[in-house]
Amino acid sequence: MDELLSVRGLERHYGAHKAFAGVDLKLARGEVLGLLGPNGAGKTTCLQVLSGNLAPTAGAVEVLGLDLMRSPREAKRHIGYLPERPPLYPDMRVDEYLVYCACLRGVPRRQRAGAVDRAKIRCGLADAGARPILKLSKGYRQRVGLAQAIVHAPDLVILDEPTEGLDPVQIREVRALIRALAADCGLILSSHILPEVQAVCSNVLILRDGQVLHQARLEQSQKLPVGCYRVRLERAPDPSALSALPGVAAVQHLDAETFRVTLRSGESVSALARRLVDAGWELAELTPERTDLERVFFDILGGEKGA
Amino acid sequence: MILTIARREWRASFLSSQAWTLLAANQLILAWIFLRVLEGFSGLEIGQRKVGITLELSLNLFSFTAVLALLSLPLLGMRMLSGEIRDGTFNLLGSAPVTLAEILLGKFLGLAALVAAMGLMPLLLSLGLGFSTELDPGLLAAATLGIWLTGLMFASVGLFASSLTRQPGLAALASYGILVLLSVINRTGVAGTQAVTLFDWLSWNEHLFWFLQGVVRASDLLYFLLFIAFFLALAHRRLANRRLG
Repeated sequence: MDELLSVRGLERHYGAHKAFAGVDLKLARGEVLGLLGPNGAGKTTCLQVLSGNLAPTAGAVEVLGLDLMRSPREAKRHIGYLPERPPLYPDMRVDEYLVYCACLRGVPRRQRAGAVDRAKIRCGLADAGARPILKLSKGYRQRVGLAQAIVHAPDLVILDEPTEGLDPVQIREVRALIRALAADCGLILSSHILPEVQAVCSNVLILRDGQVLHQARLEQSQKLPVGCYRVRLERAPDPSALSALPGVAAVQHLDAETFRVTLRSGESVSALARRLVDAGWELAELTPERTDLERVFFDILGGEKGA
Repeated sequence: MILTIARREWRASFLSSQAWTLLAANQLILAWIFLRVLEGFSGLEIGQRKVGITLELSLNLFSFTAVLALLSLPLLGMRMLSGEIRDGTFNLLGSAPVTLAEILLGKFLGLAALVAAMGLMPLLLSLGLGFSTELDPGLLAAATLGIWLTGLMFASVGLFASSLTRQPGLAALASYGILVLLSVINRTGVAGTQAVTLFDWLSWNEHLFWFLQGVVRASDLLYFLLFIAFFLALAHRRLANRRLG
């Protein structure tokens, strides 16, 4: 895997206020990095710096080995950026706008029409070329925004909350597009929605108040829902009695009343509940166990204690 | 790249009603002044005519075009940068492989097309007289050049003001402020003094006056080019600072 993006010690201040600090990351082709965090965590500022719209206060950004500060023109050729609000000119038609974007991004004249057509097809805009942007719905505007970010076939695509404000069908389409894009480039996307990041990202970086709190690869096991449940029993038996139940693969004793029970694949949770009740252990709680990422996320948000 | 951005500005200007409305209003006012000049001139006996018709036109019609440009260009230039910053479309330019100088020059060329159109209006009105009387082509050329240079300077002030704020209305007010200051700055002198002061040199009307008389002086050319470059450089500084935060 060749390295697309390398970021070292990135920081950005606004006067005395630190928007974010201490961001180090590497991204290879085919990887999708999710920038996760509550609103106001510094995600958008971070993406603005990575896209070359803001200069960092400290640190360096290299795109395909090109320093974004020292040789911005060369580096920016490889970047496609969709800001939080799609940067659209309402007075233009979709085709005109995308040709203008291709032109700005330095796509040679002869390849422009082809590049625009490809971007339109990928973003589901094939029959919207002649429509004025002013008249487009929010979902279509987002698609045009996505199309301008990929029209020059960039190696690195940066998307700021790409599914914000879309309906569920559109969200699914955007996710499918992100997966398709990941086949030949690297993506960074920000979101404050955890399932979104879990659904499409291979790496995750969690920001809060400008600090990096967690940075990891999302392993397959963390991404897939696993048959893992948290069980609280008021008359707790010996863990061995629990693991002797049919369908139970493993039992972990967490505290006096709480266990983490992993089911064998294909076993249903309702069968487990019935057996626990039948055994007379006074079932008080049975909840799906969260993945590591979810626990980290909620710990950061401070929302659900003891989850 | 500069032309790409300029073309988009031309498109935006001439597809919106704003530019057309302003140009049409200017043309209407100029036509009215043109008629007044003609009426005043043709009513006089030969002996009463102190200057030729071309100079009359230059001193009245062309000089008023400069005033109209002062009123129009802040309005035409106000959204160039501030509108883009406000609407988030500046992010498109900021992440594209173009430098701030290219963005700025593209926008400036966009305004220059409007300035060119504005400078042609009094020229075409005057040339209409060419069928019935003899005009001084040199004087007309000098006056038009003066109007263009003045308009370009106003455009650079408009661009600078537009880089200051994300509110286009505020940007227009700021450029009016700067331009009016540069118009009245030489009115401070004690009446009767003849010496050319720094304040005289700073005001644009002093320099335009020579063009309108048909005199193209290197010092006046330098004044306009210097001020255009100065305000564009300020706008560039401002955009660079925005990026640095």
